[in-house]
Amino acid sequence: MTTARTGRPALRLLTAPEYEHAAPAPLVAFCSHCGARPAHPPAPASSSRVCAACGLGLILESRADVAPKAGDAFLVLDRSLAVCALSRGAERLLAALEPNAVNRHVTDLLMPADAEEPDGTSLSTAVAWAARGDGVTRTSVVRPANTFGIRLTARISSCGPPRAALVVLD
Amino acid sequence: MRYLKTSEAAALLNVSPNTLRAWERRFGFPKPQRSPGKHRLFTHGEVAALRDALQEGLSISSAISRAREGLAADANSLVGALVSYERERADAAIEAALALRSVERSVEEVLLPTLDEIARRYSVDSAAWAFAAHWAGDWLRRANRLTPPPVRQTSVVIGDASRDELDRDAPYIHALQLFLVRAGVRVLSLSARGVAGIGDAAAVHRPNLVVVAGGHLDDDTVARWAYAIRLAVGAMPLAIYRRGSERPRVRATGTTVLPPGAGDAQRTLLELLESDQVVASPAAELRQARAARGGR
Ligand SMILES: [Zn+2]
Repeated sequence: MTTARTGRPALRLLTAPEYEHAAPAPLVAFCSHCGARPAHPPAPASSSRVCAACGLGLILESRADVAPKAGDAFLVLDRSLAVCALSRGAERLLAALEPNAVNRHVTDLLMPADAEEPDGTSLSTAVAWAARGDGVTRTSVVRPANTFGIRLTARISSCGPPRAALVVLD
Repeated sequence: MRYLKTSEAAALLNVSPNTLRAWERRFGFPKPQRSPGKHRLFTHGEVAALRDALQEGLSISSAISRAREGLAADANSLVGALVSYERERADAAIEAALALRSVERSVEEVLLPTLDEIARRYSVDSAAWAFAAHWAGDWLRRANRLTPPPVRQTSVVIGDASRDELDRDAPYIHALQLFLVRAGVRVLSLSARGVAGIGDAAAVHRPNLVVVAGGHLDDDTVARWAYAIRLAVGAMPLAIYRRGSERPRVRATGTTVLPPGAGDAQRTLLELLESDQVVASPAAELRQARAARGGR
């Protein structure tokens, strides 16, 4: 499998590293707001990327094994760690609205839950790598910023287009 | 300036009209104006900017943010031109803004915020402010002259109580005047200093409503002016615009304090002009006023 070594963004993003999988995981499409998976993903440039189910999100793609399901709480972040999308589930969980959260730094919404990572380095690093499309799925334990006592597992991987980090909260 | 109906804007964005209305509620963008028949009218530039941003977006919010950033760049370029004392570049910047927006929104979203920014950054005693305020005054007057003749039967007299063109309220007053004229209202703007001949001016113009705008002149001067108008044409609703920090409200006396934004003030005035308060014919009021003064 040479695609991952060529450094071509789309292929690197969409291909699982060889040491994790023998074959690339299939891609699925999902809505950035409601998480619904369209039956027939739109062909690029030929039709709307707007979710037909809710009308409030754009259709993105990620590997099937890391993609959110309808109603899941998840965020999409760019490589500067700025919030680009906040799902309806994440809006509820983090008590924030996407139109207000967009362009804010990830740590305005999520902080590492463990005391030994007070600066958020591991969360930030994982998001930065995922936003570059390194194809590795990482997990981090986080809490909503300004809320203590709640621990959430963040599954951090890649999505797009354009290439970005996908953080699904459980 | 090209406008799109809801169905046309929705088609350009490849979404349904319902989705477009849902975006307006949730994101406040694209923000339509209303036609005289209360239909939504979208500016083509705003819809096209959003269409392009959606191609690259990770969410509707991020696409809207990007589209807005592109539109906000116009305000930055106007600030840059004015503080560099470059009249032609300032003209070009407002023209660029007008390519994407209506006159009203270009004034409200680009011209007035630009002046506020210059006043904040350099103070109203600065040469930058003097240049910017003068340029804006010229531009607003020119836009006023280019507006087609009024179509409504309603008319308004504005008593300008600002100091001069360098008064920070002056651009807002000129903007309000422009917005009223563009809404088809006949507007006569007079200095609130002078009362000589004011009766004739008011009698010819026959206003349905009087606006006192600006905070430089003291209350006594303004009251004398308003009284002179009242003597000429009888009692009529009075609205106050940008006179101090009063909160928008309707006073018990029938005086309305207008909101500080020029667009909000225009909308409030149009509602007032359409309300029962001012349906009485000015001609009838004029006759009443003359009768009250002994049939002169
Ligand atoms: Zn959706």
